Amino acid sequence: MLQLNWFRTYGATYLDALGWTAVTALAASAGALVWGCALFLLRLTGGRWGARGVDAYVQAFRNTPVLLPIYLIYFGFPLIGLPWPAVVCGGLALVLQNGAYISEILRGSYQAIDRVQFDAAKSIGLGPWHTFRKITLPQVLVYSIPSLGNQVVLLLKDTSLLSAISVTELTMQAKLLTEQTGAAYEAFIVVAALYLVLVSGTEVFFRVAHRTVRWR
Amino acid sequence: MNTPTLTLLLQAAGVSLLLALAAIAAGTVAAALLTALAFSRLRPLRFFYRLYVYVVRGTPLLVLALLIFYALPALDLRAGPYLAGVLVLTVYVAALFAEVFRGGVLAIPRPQWESAKSLGVPPGPLLRKIVGPLVLRYALPPYVNVCVMTVKATSVLSIISVWELTLASREIIERTLAVFTVLSVAGVLYFIMCLGIDRIGRRLERRLALRGFAGERV
Amino acid sequence: MRSRHPGYVLAVLSILTVLVVVAEAGAADEKSRLDVVLERGKLIVVTMSTVPPFAFNDEKNQLVGFDVDLVRLLATALFKDPNKVEFVIVTAEGRWPAIESGRADIGVGGTTVYPDRALRVAFTRPFIDSGISVLVSKKSGIKSMQDLNQDRFTIANLNNPQMADRAKRFFPKTKVLTFDTPSAQFLAVRSGRANALQIDTPSADYFAAQSKDEFDVLPGLLGASQNNAIYFKPGDFKWWLWLDTAVAELRSGSWYPQYTEIYQKWFGKNPPPQKFYLQQ
Repeated sequence: MLQLNWFRTYGATYLDALGWTAVTALAASAGALVWGCALFLLRLTGGRWGARGVDAYVQAFRNTPVLLPIYLIYFGFPLIGLPWPAVVCGGLALVLQNGAYISEILRGSYQAIDRVQFDAAKSIGLGPWHTFRKITLPQVLVYSIPSLGNQVVLLLKDTSLLSAISVTELTMQAKLLTEQTGAAYEAFIVVAALYLVLVSGTEVFFRVAHRTVRWR
Repeated sequence: MNTPTLTLLLQAAGVSLLLALAAIAAGTVAAALLTALAFSRLRPLRFFYRLYVYVVRGTPLLVLALLIFYALPALDLRAGPYLAGVLVLTVYVAALFAEVFRGGVLAIPRPQWESAKSLGVPPGPLLRKIVGPLVLRYALPPYVNVCVMTVKATSVLSIISVWELTLASREIIERTLAVFTVLSVAGVLYFIMCLGIDRIGRRLERRLALRGFAGERV
Repeated sequence: MRSRHPGYVLAVLSILTVLVVVAEAGAADEKSRLDVVLERGKLIVVTMSTVPPFAFNDEKNQLVGFDVDLVRLLATALFKDPNKVEFVIVTAEGRWPAIESGRADIGVGGTTVYPDRALRVAFTRPFIDSGISVLVSKKSGIKSMQDLNQDRFTIANLNNPQMADRAKRFFPKTKVLTFDTPSAQFLAVRSGRANALQIDTPSADYFAAQSKDEFDVLPGLLGASQNNAIYFKPGDFKWWLWLDTAVAELRSGSWYPQYTEIYQKWFGKNPPPQKFYLQQ
């Protein structure tokens, strides 16, 4: 039953869920970026074992579906005394998973930096931490912007899996509204369209960011 | 962990693998057709391709799955859960494969097209002897990547009650509360499947390497 | 391509709208579902698979339960063969699309009759009494419904509006978690995510029986005694009449012995007498 006043009734509910999705994705992206940088730093400075450790971590998360860490943290942590709220558990799983991918992205960009810069840095006496902060990291981040944008879109889509652990985001809201009104198609079509809007918005944001930073 | 549980998990892993393989096979065929659309001379066909890829890549797999699950009966295709699951995965994966193939075609250097044209090569042999082999080698690494993604994507089907490794793990956890053990074993099983596909892909790449091909170590 | 994003969203919405309208239009049926089922030779039933003891998977991963046996009795009446049944497994909100789209002929699985639900699906008369009980974990120290109504406790709900209503009415201060299957609710309580859950009394009893020193079912019902029934697509008089007749005979007529048999198998006691004026 396609009733157009239906959007007036449920519009607010959808926007609320949209907000949750956007905020969760934003927070998880920020966390994943920080964690990815940390892993990248560990790879650069941890010697052979640091690099091997990060490799193993990345391989583990690359070859397992993200639902497993989500369930593990959500259902397992209360058993060891850490009953964190669902959003935090899901967000943590997303951070751990995407941090792995981000560290690989950063590694790829790192190899594009001219070695000369590191020699120059050493010759003016910059220590490793300063080199990392002032020379490596900014350039690596700038080169990575397109790939990072890609990864953020993937993370955004993965937030829909948080509906399995009772986070009231867009997908969960669609299920609830299906239950309430029986209008399954309408609910999911609207939700699909909202996701498309979010994804397009994110892509536009990263394209603009890329262009702005390159200009400088 | 007792043996019946382990057997159940192994069975479920087998189901996941079969689902993924079926989706990969069907998806590759569908993607070949889609790529043909992408390079068609007719604008509406090219538009349809871009629309399809845009929608499938911009919506989460779970939402696509729920939409198709609820829409399937209305299209009068009464399919069991596995068939419906493979259908969902195929729709999703076809878009990803199509982009891989399209990238492969676009990566063919211009000189190749021009020489083929100047030699007057007809379209049949053009596809089979020139475009085909080149696309195969350019597209193989990302193709294997998408295959691995397909195996991981089967876990999302668990949320719509398709019985595979993730759902089996959840059911066991709901019975026994052995969260860490069961999910670790499931993780290892997925790891083996994904890494296996990756290794097979790597070996295939090496065997298919052509002399003088881009990226070859001379 | 990227700068035409609004165009794409519009295109997608219009295509999907067309699909929806076409789907709704094509839904008009002329033949009764009863004739379709008889012709097909098989009954298609939609159910959840995580509602013990009504419909759930045993250790051998077979679907079993009271409702499962009940529909097998219906298949026996239709085809003289209890195995001519095919099950469509869904999560809670998937029940209604499966019926409305015609994918399944009937649905069972501990589904309770509510007037607002009856706006979308039709119900037979009830085939079993139910009611909603609250299961709590002993660790939480909750002894009564009033105890539960504090904001340091969490209750696990199923994702239907009736559960949300009850939670608001009886436990307004309690925090709420929403899941799409009863077994996920139970896992939430077992793992300490929630302190209580609300579900049909037989299910609550079954879950509690799994570990008597961990769980308790609070005395009393949330609201009134309720009715579980078979649900199916409304508007089909012939189908409804046959199904309702079958249920009537199971509960209080010629098939009462078969009904008693499955009732004793799953609940360990006799069903209510078939007629109040007959001695048991």
